[in-house]
Amino acid sequence: MSTASGIRVETVSRVFAARGTTVEALRDVSLDCPAGSFTALIGPSGCGKSTILRLALGLDRADTGTIEVGGLAPSDATKSGITGVAFQDAALLPWRSVEDNIALPLDVLGRPRAAHSAKIAELIALVGLKGFENALPSELSGGMRQRVAIARSLVTDPQVLFLDEPFGALDQILRKQMNIELQRIWMESQATTLLVTHGIDEAVFLADRVVVMQSRPGRISKIIDIDLPRPRRAELFADPAFHKLEAEVASALDGH
Amino acid sequence: MGIDLRRIYGSIRNLAIIVIVWEILGRLQLVASGALPPPSAVVLRLIKDWGDYPGHIGATIFGAGVGFIIGNAVAIAAGVLFALYPLTSRVARGLNIAIFALPAIAISPILVLTLSDPVPRIVLAAIGCYFVTMTATVVGLTQVDARSVDVVRAYGGGKWKALWLVQWRSALPVILSGLRVAAPNAVLGSILAEFGGGGRWGLGVYLLGSLGRAEPDRLWGIGLVATLIAAAAYAVFALIANSITGSSQSVTVPTSLLRSDEEGRVRPLWQRGALIASSIALPFALWWVLLLALRVPAMIAKTPAGLLDYLVLLPSAPIAQGKLVAALAQTLPMTFIGMAAGLALAFALALCSQLWPAVVRAFMPVALVTQTMPLVALTPLLVLMLGRGTAVILAITISVTFFPAFVTMAQGLLMVPRAALEVPKAYGASLFTQLRLVSIPSSLPYLFAATRLTAPRALLGVMIAEWLATGTGLGNLLNQSRGYLDYGMIWSVAFVSVVLSVLFYQVVVVVERRVLGRFGMASAQ
Repeated sequence: MSTASGIRVETVSRVFAARGTTVEALRDVSLDCPAGSFTALIGPSGCGKSTILRLALGLDRADTGTIEVGGLAPSDATKSGITGVAFQDAALLPWRSVEDNIALPLDVLGRPRAAHSAKIAELIALVGLKGFENALPSELSGGMRQRVAIARSLVTDPQVLFLDEPFGALDQILRKQMNIELQRIWMESQATTLLVTHGIDEAVFLADRVVVMQSRPGRISKIIDIDLPRPRRAELFADPAFHKLEAEVASALDGH
Repeated sequence: MGIDLRRIYGSIRNLAIIVIVWEILGRLQLVASGALPPPSAVVLRLIKDWGDYPGHIGATIFGAGVGFIIGNAVAIAAGVLFALYPLTSRVARGLNIAIFALPAIAISPILVLTLSDPVPRIVLAAIGCYFVTMTATVVGLTQVDARSVDVVRAYGGGKWKALWLVQWRSALPVILSGLRVAAPNAVLGSILAEFGGGGRWGLGVYLLGSLGRAEPDRLWGIGLVATLIAAAAYAVFALIANSITGSSQSVTVPTSLLRSDEEGRVRPLWQRGALIASSIALPFALWWVLLLALRVPAMIAKTPAGLLDYLVLLPSAPIAQGKLVAALAQTLPMTFIGMAAGLALAFALALCSQLWPAVVRAFMPVALVTQTMPLVALTPLLVLMLGRGTAVILAITISVTFFPAFVTMAQGLLMVPRAALEVPKAYGASLFTQLRLVSIPSSLPYLFAATRLTAPRALLGVMIAEWLATGTGLGNLLNQSRGYLDYGMIWSVAFVSVVLSVLFYQVVVVVERRVLGRFGMASAQ
């Protein structure tokens, strides 16, 4: 699976027209995420990082350029079930229980749920929601809902995982825990992962490469390789090498 | 949820108070010298007349029930089509508005002329349901939280998958609230068709037969039964909706609603022109085709061409035009005044429903009564109370416009997201401040939706009053023409009143787009 599960973005442009003005969300953006790699997209609001993700998921279409996910066009890739996604907002269906929300991608892809009941139970345990299987989203806290969304993104055993600020709504402590969990999941699954984030620490901690973007027009300004050994542990957050990389990303964000 | 003993007790208490006050008023003959009989007399008379009822009730319920099923089935299917393929909704727009706006009373003589007995009531009942449910379906399906649909689409799910997994379930409360309004509409449609003639059975027939005999207690009995049927139909769907709404309210504030491809897409001028033209042509084409298919004699059934002859080309046309213009001069001013009053009342009460929910619960039964009653039993009473003048027209018009407007606006206020309400609350805002800062501005789309809804109904109300009470305006012209067998004029009045209603509707839509556009709000259907 490894060679076929990369993400390839080639000279992609996307312009939005709204109320008489146009916004260049992306201009000639190219990015190659090799199979099994972990890439973080970071940048100010409006730099087009979420647009890249939406294009790769087939939720939107590029004006020019091509995007391939696992060697397939985005809409084919998602239909074949090799992708997983978690958005910034949990976007749970209010009438479905935790279990049923996690199973939603299976229903979309037409896969039998019975065959995955063990997987669902395992994921519920993984995100620490044992005992809440039958709870409705309105009975959960914001953090718990977000964890349901994470579990949902993993239910199909995705080869390519898209995460759009999945921990943006969580508190710092929980976020670090989830970062460590996510790294563990990623190392086990070997899924090619594209993470959109606002958090410099999160990006450096998780990614092999941090892609820094700038806005107006949305473009990639710098790619920083993160050569920290894995598995990365919680202590790393206090490591001087880690801080140095953080500073590098921060100055790239400032346009240096 | 929502059903606790105190509420039930409160409703019973309020009902008891109303009944007792009514009894006293009736016993002492305080209102319009006995036109308002005490409830005890109404019930006694009802028991005495009971032998007559089953046949009439059965006929009305049959018409209403079959119409309800057919109308809503068509409405939901059409709603799904329009929501999934927005282009179809643009082509069908003219037809939809015409169906919505056509005053039942104006076409009931036509239906009776062209179709045989149970069909006119089924058709009017179905028409009464169609627009409400169709709109509710479209709104429910499109106002879904875009993020949930994104999740489905992100796994390669198409339109139908999203419809099946997300949209229909999230639309269910909206559709049910549509059915809730449609149910009394169906009963009303059936009764109005019975007014128009034909048939031996039906509450409308019974009522019309009893109208001439000065027996207010029987009239009230019939009205009461009609109201109970409508109220029961309403209550069933209110209960179902109540048990479902709680579990489908979005927990977070939806930042974006699902946008169709059609929205914001600028089509070239010729395409827009073609869409508008086909949307206008469709109702006329359907009118023509239906008449051809039914093989109604040309003398009775006027095609668009026949109508053109009658109103413009024939030598007698100027006389017909003169009659129409004179009638319009009487009908139009009343329509505007009645509509404004009905809307103002509904908006005030919808806001009260936020401030004092208990008051509204107490008022609700009365509101329901005014929904079915006025057309049937209240008219004679109102005539006796207010005379055969302007006041009675206004009273009837307000009572037919108020209820749908109130339901729409109360619904709108209910849909204000929890979090949005909690922000001012968190700063210690009083209920009034909360209302002013959040509820009222965010209900603006619903105020417009209610205005759109009531504009044609106001015309209906005025025409009913003119027909049954004052003998003026379009309503009277229609009734007279029925007597003279002046088919051309019957069709002309029907046509003009439909065109007027569509026009009112369009004017509201244009104003709405301007205003909401300025506030960056989307219109509520």
